[in-house]
Amino acid sequence: MQHFQFYSTKSISDALHFLSEKGERTRIIAGGTDLIPRLRQENSLPDFVLNVLEIERLNGITERNHILRIGATTTHTQLVESGLLQRSCPSLVQAAASIGGPLIRNRGTIGGNLANASPAADLAPVLLAMDAEGVLMSERGTREVALRDFFIGPGKTLLNPNELLVEISIPLPKGTNLFLKLGRRQAMSLSIVNVAVCLEMEGGNCREAKIALGSVAATPIRCPRAENLLRGKEIDPELISKCAGEAMAMSKPVDDQRAKAWYRRQAGEVLLKRALFQAAGLRND
Amino acid sequence: MSPEANKILLKMVVNGKAVEVMVNPTQTLLKVLREDLGLTGTKKGCEQGDCGACTVLLEGKAVNACLVLALQAQGKEVETIEGLGTPERLHPLQKSFIQNGAVQCGFCTSGMLLSALALLRKNPNPTVEQIRRGISGNLCRCTGYMKIVKAIQDVSAFKE
Repeated sequence: MQHFQFYSTKSISDALHFLSEKGERTRIIAGGTDLIPRLRQENSLPDFVLNVLEIERLNGITERNHILRIGATTTHTQLVESGLLQRSCPSLVQAAASIGGPLIRNRGTIGGNLANASPAADLAPVLLAMDAEGVLMSERGTREVALRDFFIGPGKTLLNPNELLVEISIPLPKGTNLFLKLGRRQAMSLSIVNVAVCLEMEGGNCREAKIALGSVAATPIRCPRAENLLRGKEIDPELISKCAGEAMAMSKPVDDQRAKAWYRRQAGEVLLKRALFQAAGLRND
Repeated sequence: MSPEANKILLKMVVNGKAVEVMVNPTQTLLKVLREDLGLTGTKKGCEQGDCGACTVLLEGKAVNACLVLALQAQGKEVETIEGLGTPERLHPLQKSFIQNGAVQCGFCTSGMLLSALALLRKNPNPTVEQIRRGISGNLCRCTGYMKIVKAIQDVSAFKE
C-alpha cells in the first residue's frame, strides 16, 4: 500500500469535525475487515483513514422505550453474546453468528456491515425486516434514515462524506423473527442468498408479515407484495409457496463467483419457504 | 514526501512487555509484529482475513493481525504465539498438539493455538462442535483438522 495519514480520536465531535473538513478524502475504519482488503486492491488510497473504534459512545446495545439501540462499532461477537438481543431479536443474533468466523466477528461491526453495503451483507435483511433506522451524524446535525432508503446500490449508501453512522435503532420486534443463510460453507462464507422474516401470528392467522432478501438484487430488499399475500390470512403451505414465489419474482439476482442467478432464484425460494414455515410454526414437510 | 517523514510512534504491550516502534500509518499489525519486532511466529497467509495464519490476541480477543492497522493497536495489549509457554515449559495446549500429532507443516499452528487459547479462556469445556466453531477462522491444509480438535479437547478443565 502506498500512503495515507491515520487519525484516531475518542471524541465523536472531534471525529465529526474531522469529517466536516476532510470527509471527501477520508475512509472511516472500524473493524477493517472489509476496508483493509479493499484498500489493498484499489489503485489509489484515501488521504486519510479515520479510526472510530476508540469512540466509546459508538459501542453498546441498550433498550429504552421499546426501542433497541445498537452503537455502530458494536462487533458481531458482541451482538451474538448479547442476552438482550438473544431474547428480543434472535434473528439478528443468528445473522451476526453467520458472518465469517470468530476472528472476523471479533473485529467486524454492525456499522461497517451496513456502510460497506454489500448486497450480500448478512445483517441488512434482518434489520430491514424490522424497520430499523440508521442515525447519521455530521457537524451540522443528526438525521435518522430508514434502512429501506439507506442502500442505493452495491457498495453505495446515502451517507455523505462528512457523515458518520453512529447508531442503529430497532423498534422492539413483535412475533417471531428468523434469519437463514445459504453459503458454500458453514463458516467464512459470503451469502449466496439470505432471508429474514418477521411474522406476527394469532393462532393460524398472520397479523403482520415482513420479508427481506439479500444477495438477490443490487441491494438488500423488502418484499411488500409478498408480505401483502400473508397479511391477515390463514397461513397454509400453499399460501407460503405462493408468497415465496412472489418474493423471488421481485428479486434480480446476478451470476457471480459464488452462484448463478437461476440458482439464487431457486435456492432463495426454498430458503424463504423454510423460514416462513418455521416462523409461522408450521411443520416443514 | 519520504515515507520516513510520516512515521508515527506506536506504543503497545506485546507478550507482557512494553514496546515502542516507529510505523507507517499504512502498515498492519501483522507487518509490524513480524518485521519491526522480529516476532515471526505469527504467519502471513492470505493477508485478507480468510486463513487465520496471522491470528493474535488483541486485548484478549483473537483477531486477524492482517486486518488491524498497526496504529489501531496504540496503547493496547497484544499476545502472540511467542508469548505462549516457553521451550522449557510448554503450555498445555502446545503439549497436547505435539502429543496428538496435530502439527505437520506448522504454518497454521500459531494461529490454531491462539484461537484455541481464546476459546478455552471463554469456554473451558467446549463440545467438539464448539471447538470446530472456535477454530473455524483458521485453515489447515495438512492435518484434516481431526487431530487439532482432539488436541484441544484433551486440554479440558483448562488451567493456565
